Amino acid sequence: MLWTNKYSPKNFKEVLGNNKAKDEISEWIDNWLINKPQKPLLLVGPPGTGKTTLAHLAAHEFADHIELNASDKRSYDILLGTVGEASATGSLFNQGLKLIILDEVDGIHGTDDRGGIRAITKIIKEGHHPLVMMANDPYSKRIKSLKSKCQVISIRKVHTNSIVALLKKICLKEGVEFEEYVLRTLAKRSNGDLRSAINDLEIIARGKESITTEDLKIISQKDDIHNIFDSVRTVLKSKNPQRIKDAMRVEADPAFMLELITENIPREYEKKHEIQNAYEMISKADIYLGRAFQTRNYGYWKYSYDLMSLGVALSKDETYKKFARYTNSTVYAMLSKSRAKRDLQDRVAAKIGEKTHTSLKVAKQQFPYLEIMFQNNEIAWELAEYFRLENDEVKLFRSRKIKKPKTVQSKTIQEENQVKKVSNSKKIVDKKIKEKITSIHPPVKKIKSTQNKESIKKEDKIEDSKSKSNKKVSKSKSKEKQVSLFSFK
Amino acid sequence: MNGPWVEKYRPKNLDEVVGQDHIIQRLKRYIKEGSLPNLMFTGPAGVGKTTTALALGKALLGEYWRQNFLELNASDARGIDTVRHNIKNFCRLKAVGSPFRIVFLDEVDNMTKDAQHALRREMEMYTKTASFILSCNYSSKIIDPIQSRCAIFRFTPVKGHQIIKRLEVIAEAEKIEVTLNALESIVYFAEGDMRRAVNILQTSSSVGEEVTEENVQEVVSKAKPQDVRKIINKALAGDFLDARDLLREVMVIQGISGEDLVTQIYQEVAQMARDGLIGEELYVDLIENIGKYDYRIREGSNPRIQLEALLTKFLFKANAK
Repeated sequence: MLWTNKYSPKNFKEVLGNNKAKDEISEWIDNWLINKPQKPLLLVGPPGTGKTTLAHLAAHEFADHIELNASDKRSYDILLGTVGEASATGSLFNQGLKLIILDEVDGIHGTDDRGGIRAITKIIKEGHHPLVMMANDPYSKRIKSLKSKCQVISIRKVHTNSIVALLKKICLKEGVEFEEYVLRTLAKRSNGDLRSAINDLEIIARGKESITTEDLKIISQKDDIHNIFDSVRTVLKSKNPQRIKDAMRVEADPAFMLELITENIPREYEKKHEIQNAYEMISKADIYLGRAFQTRNYGYWKYSYDLMSLGVALSKDETYKKFARYTNSTVYAMLSKSRAKRDLQDRVAAKIGEKTHTSLKVAKQQFPYLEIMFQNNEIAWELAEYFRLENDEVKLFRSRKIKKPKTVQSKTIQEENQVKKVSNSKKIVDKKIKEKITSIHPPVKKIKSTQNKESIKKEDKIEDSKSKSNKKVSKSKSKEKQVSLFSFK
Repeated sequence: MNGPWVEKYRPKNLDEVVGQDHIIQRLKRYIKEGSLPNLMFTGPAGVGKTTTALALGKALLGEYWRQNFLELNASDARGIDTVRHNIKNFCRLKAVGSPFRIVFLDEVDNMTKDAQHALRREMEMYTKTASFILSCNYSSKIIDPIQSRCAIFRFTPVKGHQIIKRLEVIAEAEKIEVTLNALESIVYFAEGDMRRAVNILQTSSSVGEEVTEENVQEVVSKAKPQDVRKIINKALAGDFLDARDLLREVMVIQGISGEDLVTQIYQEVAQMARDGLIGEELYVDLIENIGKYDYRIREGSNPRIQLEALLTKFLFKANAK
């Protein structure tokens, strides 16, 4: 029997640390047992801190339990099939309560487990059975929607001292002599992951009578969690492939890692061809990130990691013996500094895009032209009206305020008179269309229809200045506009 | 003037669409038959994909085309859920006032593969109520199952003389004077992109009474990303950190796209070669690299990282000189 199982806690008391979490879970169980249905539990915490253990201990309190973890396929149908059935049938004892345990819910896969989260949500809504879920990453997008429906309990890392104490206990029970230093190192290395600490201990101590510092070498540094900057430093300072590979075992988003290494290449490397070669590696690493994103095939990440670490590391002729100050990427500072401006750009681009049938990207490509056009007061006035830009949005293209052009003022009065004459017949047509449509789609917003009248007026303006053939075109145009009230966008 | 000319003079029907005659002929057959298979329009920016889709929609759906035509910008509403939700809600209802409904999805190549697979399912599910028109720049970025479900129409860049003809129509309607040199200059800068051509024309007419070659050139040089020459010079001088910071500023704060920048870098380098500021060998070498990184950007990498990598190539050359 593995030591992790052999020495796993038999009751809540034996679970190390996390007293508050234990109390909450006990209370949750008690409430269920007196027939007070509770929100599902969501235990969130790093690996090896006792989430699964706690869930299993909780299972003892109920009549029965059913468990699904990441090794099972958890699509919509499967989840509803297994869990749904279980929650509907129920056992005879303990009011027939059956504990449902869903491990690693943040690992529910987008395509293979299609609809998994939706199924869970459904189970939560219907189920009359207690449900415990576990997740590692509290910020995972996948569990975002679940969090609001659950009682979230965060499970913290176990303190090094507690781990040392437990390791000592195990050694005593197994009859293994130990140096305190060895156990402390194991505990520290585990970084709060009790399971890996016990596993490591078992590897070096099983079947032996004593363990020494020598034995530590057996264990690879796999769980050595590095500070991200330490990893970047290793990549840029070292040329030792094994050390670099180890250093890259950090839990960081590869794009972020890439950004940090990229930022600091020219701060460490001095020769131009080194910078150039390193950047070539970065460029290729980035290509794989792009492919991974495009295809959702995250297997490409491994190439990216190797290129950005080993590739960059081996781009230098020899290691530098100097102290270089590493920094976070200046891009992040720029992004936060320019947030307001970018938001404004997006807002304006959305308005323009809606009028000109273009995406934000294409709309933004027209900004430079608009900036020039907006220097002309009269055009600026018309464009701002056309796109319905607010005053602060106009500032994107023009620092001065737009003066209301005199020509427009006098024109509008003239036009209003003309409009009345010209559009009488048209109004009837418009009305007819309106009635027809409103009979199909009843609710119409009033504000919009007044806006529309304005645009009709404008159309008349062109009409007057142009030949009769144009009249037809703009007439149909205003019809379109009229109908566009009911567009779906 | 009444709003942007790109919108004011957007062709209202298929006959007005410029430069895609072979496509228009085939599309008209669908109008005659009153039915529409799923279509895919592929081609560079500003050649009439959206315009054709809108015109086709109007012709097929008639008076109430607005209610039965759903326009979705794939690059804005990118998530699967948005796309799914909107399309589903739209397709579930039968068309009223039109024979069927049309979903127009722009820039499908910007959708992730997951979203494309989701889309493919929608296309199958609603064949009875709706037809899909998809538009993209690169059909290679569209998953095969979608391509095989669509009739594919490849739009080509608009020819110079066709652009000129259209610009002349606009100029006449707007009562502005445009010299022939100016028109030719616009065509040169537009590179087959009608939207850009019309934008340049309208902008040029806003700076002076008459549109002349000088006006056009002034507008184009003002409208292009600034600071590019500065970035290049800093890199050539070996000042990589400064060059990189300026590049980042242009991209992050000013919001210039990678594709625009790489084009501008190419044009600056070409100009520098014409002016004798860089030698022939170096020029060819740089062009090779610009092309390489341009391709990488279009392939879907992070444009800023790629352009920073391109900058290092300038650095190296200056040193070797």
